[in-house]
Amino acid sequence: MTGVILFAHGSLLCGAGQSLLAHAQRLREMGIAPIVEVGYLNYSEPRFLAAVARCAEQGATHIIVTPYFLIPGKFVSIDLPKAVAEAQSKFPALDYTVVPALGFDERLADALITSANGARPSEAWGEALEESVAFCRALPECPLYATVACPHKPERTEAIA
Amino acid sequence: MSRVALLVLVHGSPRPTANEEMFKVVERVRIRNLYPIVQVGFLECNEPDIAKAIDLCVEQGATEIRAVPYFLHTGTHVAQDLPELLEAGGKRHPQTTFLLGDFLGRSRHLTDILAERTRSTECP
Repeated sequence: MTGVILFAHGSLLCGAGQSLLAHAQRLREMGIAPIVEVGYLNYSEPRFLAAVARCAEQGATHIIVTPYFLIPGKFVSIDLPKAVAEAQSKFPALDYTVVPALGFDERLADALITSANGARPSEAWGEALEESVAFCRALPECPLYATVACPHKPERTEAIA
Repeated sequence: MSRVALLVLVHGSPRPTANEEMFKVVERVRIRNLYPIVQVGFLECNEPDIAKAIDLCVEQGATEIRAVPYFLHTGTHVAQDLPELLEAGGKRHPQTTFLLGDFLGRSRHLTDILAERTRSTECP
């Protein structure tokens, strides 16, 4: 049984992973594989090794690692092979395949044009930040922590009051 | 007459090869001729920076700039830095309309690309 792991960098900003989770959910709905998980290199949970463990628990015998990176830079060419080697030593019974990063694709041009066609005025520009706050993990390392945008900051309540 | 620019907001990299595929994608946008001006601006490391790229759009006659972040995640760049740079551009060019699109990572087209990359192992 195949488990797909979308491999991403991870972020300290709350909600930064929501778009990736949406891709994972759509891939599940497309039936790309019986198991689809997300695994991060840094900051966000689950880390890559934990994602491999999740796949193994669900009965995966083969792991396909799909990088959620635009280019095969350092994270994909150096850090990812290290993470896969670590997974191989912990879960030696599994087969691992790493597929290419997004790179060039005509559909990236489609994505740019679709986005430009739907572009919105400045009143809407704060939505990405508001959306991040909605997924607040109250991490002290988050760039929003203890700022006016962070819902876990007591001063915010005072400011609104 | 309105003249619309598509401004691609890119992170930038110290590695010269890092932007090659992005430039190929932007070229594909350009040759479709949907936007009379297609301009790239970098947040870090590369030229032109975003402020300069905005000025270049206006110099080319843009009355409206539609900016799209070439980013996969809602990090602080997408959530804070890029809107601030556009707002600053709006203050320098009050006659120009500034619009901001979703960052690339939000596009469903990316799900299709991820699916294709994932399936690429099946038929070697």
